[in-house]
Amino acid sequence: MTLAVRRLAALLLLLAGLWSGPGVAHESQPGLLEVRQLTTERWEIAWRAPIYYGQPHPARLALPPDWQPLGEPRVRRLASAELYRQILRVPPGSVDGSVIGFPGLEQTITDVFVRLHRLDGSEMSQVVRPTEPQVVLRGERPWTVSAREYLALGFHHILLGIDHLLFVLGLLVIVRGPRMLIETITAFTLAHSLTLGLATLGHASLPAPPLNAAIALSILFLGPEMVRVWRGETSFTIRHPWVVAFCFGLLHGFGFASGLSTVAMPRAEIPLALAMFNVGVELGQLAFVALILLAHRALRTLEFRWPRCAELGPAYAVGTLGAYWTLQRTAMLF
Amino acid sequence: MRRPGHWSWVAAGWLLPAGAAQAHLVSSGLGPFYDGALHLLLSPGALLGLLALALLAGLRGPRAGRLAVIALPTAWLLGGLVGLGLAPVPDLTWLGVAAFLVLGLLLAADAKLPPIAIAALACAYGGLHGLLDGMALTAIGAGTSPLLGIVLAVLVIALLGAAAVVPLRVLWARIAVRVAGSWVAAVGLLMLGWLARGTG
Repeated sequence: MTLAVRRLAALLLLLAGLWSGPGVAHESQPGLLEVRQLTTERWEIAWRAPIYYGQPHPARLALPPDWQPLGEPRVRRLASAELYRQILRVPPGSVDGSVIGFPGLEQTITDVFVRLHRLDGSEMSQVVRPTEPQVVLRGERPWTVSAREYLALGFHHILLGIDHLLFVLGLLVIVRGPRMLIETITAFTLAHSLTLGLATLGHASLPAPPLNAAIALSILFLGPEMVRVWRGETSFTIRHPWVVAFCFGLLHGFGFASGLSTVAMPRAEIPLALAMFNVGVELGQLAFVALILLAHRALRTLEFRWPRCAELGPAYAVGTLGAYWTLQRTAMLF
Repeated sequence: MRRPGHWSWVAAGWLLPAGAAQAHLVSSGLGPFYDGALHLLLSPGALLGLLALALLAGLRGPRAGRLAVIALPTAWLLGGLVGLGLAPVPDLTWLGVAAFLVLGLLLAADAKLPPIAIAALACAYGGLHGLLDGMALTAIGAGTSPLLGIVLAVLVIALLGAAAVVPLRVLWARIAVRVAGSWVAAVGLLMLGWLARGTG
């Protein structure tokens, strides 16, 4: 299986190189808008807009016209986001049905979590996507609506995580046979589900900069292994790719957790959000693997024959991209 | 504001290659690369001809399939890069429709074209749509990222489409592929009639 997958990987990597900017791998940090009731008429909003490619986020906050600001807003620039807080006077009974817009969000790949907390203890949580950059505040929502939102969020998160996909692609090149493929993908899935759960529930955490560097290192690690497969050599990774998939999968799980913010999320909704986000990630990963396997079969059917020197291209491309990201992200630590 | 339905995006897919400056690229929410890929999938005007060509190449065997898989995305990319530097031209929707009508007819007739002719058709079709996409992307202020998304989608569809047909040996299966070609041609005829009525 490995030869044709290597050829296919060459095509995909060429496009990946053209497609990915220097920091594309982790620019999908979500935004967060908290709307908290303080008294009958006074509300506080906290808008956390992530830094987007090193710049303030292009999305703005457009509040309903009858929400009157009280005093000056407080703005703080954090390392990874800009935080905007404002106290507002909101006519009693007018919150339900109010529309909050995020003009500019449609030009980005950022999702925004909107969390509403009322004095009576009721809570609401919604996900705003760039395809529809506004939210209509409502009371209770069917759990199926929330489940669908988190599922889509997980699916989109893996599609945007080109470093995660490159790692999976590297694993596909190394594995031999359907059984090894199933073992390896299952190990990766179990590992990243474990750390995604731990990180989302707040039981474990890793700071983003070293985590991103370590994820890049996992891609760099696969480059030489792909060369060994091409030379017909063997190694522990080639004999037992599931072990490597499991170990590095633990790191990738922390990376996935960056796409799911549970800050101020209603406690009852956290298990649903975690489960559906993870299902979305798995579906995206399975779709990617299925597409690669289908394309691999198609290349064989059409009897593509490439020059032997071109067969090493994917290994060098994976190694080069992994090395580039490792150096870039390591430099960001200092 | 009501969210645009899928059919609105399909309608936008018809409009964009026509070079209408008012048209917008479909938003996937995943950035311009995926926007481009999704645009092709929701543009029947380009997709039907692409499918017909891939299936026709598959009917003609692995060599024709390989040539189509190489020529289509390459010509689409080159045409697109050229189109990105050009001003939008008047509505050329009819040309795209006529192209997929012809490809549908060739597929329905199981035309015994040599592989080199398939490659020439792929170059012409890919170049034409690439050019139209490039000009339309310029008109809406988009860059090369959506074009790369379109080209990757073209590559995947051509590869999977051609490879799905090559192994078919049973007569009824090959006839089913030709029937698909007749449907493409029928859609092309309907579209041409609709366009003629609209401009008449």
